[in-house]
Amino acid sequence: MTKLRNVAIVGFAQMPIIAHDPHRTAQEMLYPVVRAALAQCGVERDAIDYQTAGSADYIDGRPFGFVAALDVMGTWPPRQDSHLEMDAAFAAHYAWIRMQAGECDTALVVGYGKVSEGQPERILNLQLDPYYLAPLGLGPLSTAALQASAYMARSGATDRDLAEIAARNRAAGARNPDAQVRTPASADELQGTPWAIEPLRQGYVPPIGESAVCLLLAAEGKAESMCKRPVWIGGVEQRAEMQTLGARDLTHSASTQLATERALAMAGVGKAADVDLIEMMATNPIEEMIVREAMALPARGDTKPVINPSGGPITGHPLMMTGLIRLGEAFRQLSGGADGRAVPNARRAIVHAAQGHCLQQNVVFVLGSERRWS
Amino acid sequence: MKRPVAVVGVGQTKHSTRRSDVNIPGLVREAIDRALLDAGLEHKDIDAVVIGKAPDMLEGVMQPEQFLVGAVGGHMKPVVRIHTAGSVGATTALAAVTHVASGLFERVLTIAFEKQSEGNAMWALSPNMPFMPPLVAGAGGYFAPYIRAYIARTGAPAHIGPVIAANARANAGRNQYAHLQEPMTVEDVMQSPMLWDPVRYLETCPSSDGAVALVIASEAAARKGPRKPAWVKGGASYAEAMWVPGRDQVNPAAGRACSKHVYQQAGITDPWNQIDTAEIYVPFSWFEAMWLENLGFCDIGEGWKIVERGEQKFGAHLPINPSGGVLCSNPIGASGMLRLGEAALQVMGRAGAHQVENAKTALGHAYGGGAQYFAMWVVGSEL
Repeated sequence: MTKLRNVAIVGFAQMPIIAHDPHRTAQEMLYPVVRAALAQCGVERDAIDYQTAGSADYIDGRPFGFVAALDVMGTWPPRQDSHLEMDAAFAAHYAWIRMQAGECDTALVVGYGKVSEGQPERILNLQLDPYYLAPLGLGPLSTAALQASAYMARSGATDRDLAEIAARNRAAGARNPDAQVRTPASADELQGTPWAIEPLRQGYVPPIGESAVCLLLAAEGKAESMCKRPVWIGGVEQRAEMQTLGARDLTHSASTQLATERALAMAGVGKAADVDLIEMMATNPIEEMIVREAMALPARGDTKPVINPSGGPITGHPLMMTGLIRLGEAFRQLSGGADGRAVPNARRAIVHAAQGHCLQQNVVFVLGSERRWS
Repeated sequence: MKRPVAVVGVGQTKHSTRRSDVNIPGLVREAIDRALLDAGLEHKDIDAVVIGKAPDMLEGVMQPEQFLVGAVGGHMKPVVRIHTAGSVGATTALAAVTHVASGLFERVLTIAFEKQSEGNAMWALSPNMPFMPPLVAGAGGYFAPYIRAYIARTGAPAHIGPVIAANARANAGRNQYAHLQEPMTVEDVMQSPMLWDPVRYLETCPSSDGAVALVIASEAAARKGPRKPAWVKGGASYAEAMWVPGRDQVNPAAGRACSKHVYQQAGITDPWNQIDTAEIYVPFSWFEAMWLENLGFCDIGEGWKIVERGEQKFGAHLPINPSGGVLCSNPIGASGMLRLGEAALQVMGRAGAHQVENAKTALGHAYGGGAQYFAMWVVGSEL
């Protein structure tokens, strides 16, 4: 791998995920986390060269929803900016590419959205092919259930396996003050919950939640003064697949597999099992098993690395932010800010984020407490 | 930029009110196929795809790039979706430039489109927000007050807007891809219905279906191509906040900051004499005079005088929008990338009947939001 620029995560702030904030707009929720992230780094907005955001107009229920975020991001005087209509983790990846191009040394990345004001199951139907798929009325839970059925048929995974994965995430979420679902639940209890859509039970999928997040990135030379323990990006890769559900093997995530292989190679890490923890954007237990397999890890059972010590998306899934929260959680783990959910002696982590139906598009980061390139 | 970057392929559709012969994938494929053919490349040569379009509500598909991954050749590649309001096409092409400049990608396909006939732009751009009076006036109603402010400040005579509109239409007559090509006189424009004072019907951009695709490449990849590339000499995208006391929407600070940054990269100190032609984002006629000032082609208050003297016409000192521009073709999400692509065609010497003689350096420009988002590049015929 050719030598790249060392870029680190130097700050992260998150509003605890809640079901619905009746008092504040998305921008009012975002402002305090932007200020908190800057304060963590001891800098003002002028110290940041570039800003980017991940959000979606349809979540906002209006065109140009992201324009309203400019004010709370501190876009005065004018700033270098671009907005991605993607999960904010993809915006972080793009900011990293800008740093590789030498276009900035520091970047502010935000994710936001007032998810509770719409009906995600109906809104996300509109992501599907408008000619062949969307008219069928499928929402993300329906497509996830199709994927789950296919995976269970292929792998022999049982309802009990799903319950155990959900229970492990619930136990972890109880230790995370930013999680939405903070009550642990046993596999028995979760297996007793009604179907959301068979074979996914209500206990296996996250409730609707909203939040606001801000992550700060800085290149070597700037990062050290902004953070005591910067968390370095050693490798990152992003891949998409065709949406058409019938055109891909839903029981495997080929794009996650390729992205993982390439990100690990970039980072000089032999295999996923060599890291200490993985924060993955698995919004149900089946997605966790598929992503684990794509990373060449056993689909089930307790393993090193620790999977989703934050409780993962099953305990909090604010759309367009869930991926960036994974990056933020891994930053907290490697920089000593994970408190009661800290993985002991964590030095390397993998972060996975996804968007689209059935893990259509995936980005994988490999993070470390040491610089990748000297 | 860390390393040189070039435009090696340009493709666009014929823009029109309603492309009922193709669906959305068909529309974007038309532009992509032409861009790849132009570059002498195939999908297998492309390392990443960067897509842009304006609000998803224009077609009623959320994040349509996801269902388009197959159609754009993005399967198992990195795919990025940009959305920065009206400037999006330009910001998207610049994101593709960034990808190549990073050294991580050799050839990136970038695409922008809008199929406005699938929806209703006036509805999609007139949201009813809490605590705000619904304007239900679309973009024209939003921008007309800024134009009135410009006229009040400069004392520009009333015919300037119509002159700009008639000139754009004359230019579009030389562009085979333009949507509106019927010739019209200044008198025709003056007699068309007033929509948003002072903007008349014939001073307003159309709603178009259209797409554009560019292939952006590294120097090594560009030198292997079949044709002379356009070199990206400088590029940037800037935004400014909405609610700032003293913010000036007639001469926005973000536009000035962006052009300053781009000129600095391109070594331009005297835009009026160093730039041979410019494709600038003019959805309503008067913005041409306003942006001439904002882009530093003249002093403040002097933009309308360039129009009065006819120095922006085809064949004159600084031809503005030789393609006919946004006033004659407006697939919103694509309009910004069309400006950048047309600037590239000019310095490649391949703009056909609307080729500006001896164009060596060209500016491509777009804006969006409430005159808040600006994105532009300067391209040159030589590295």
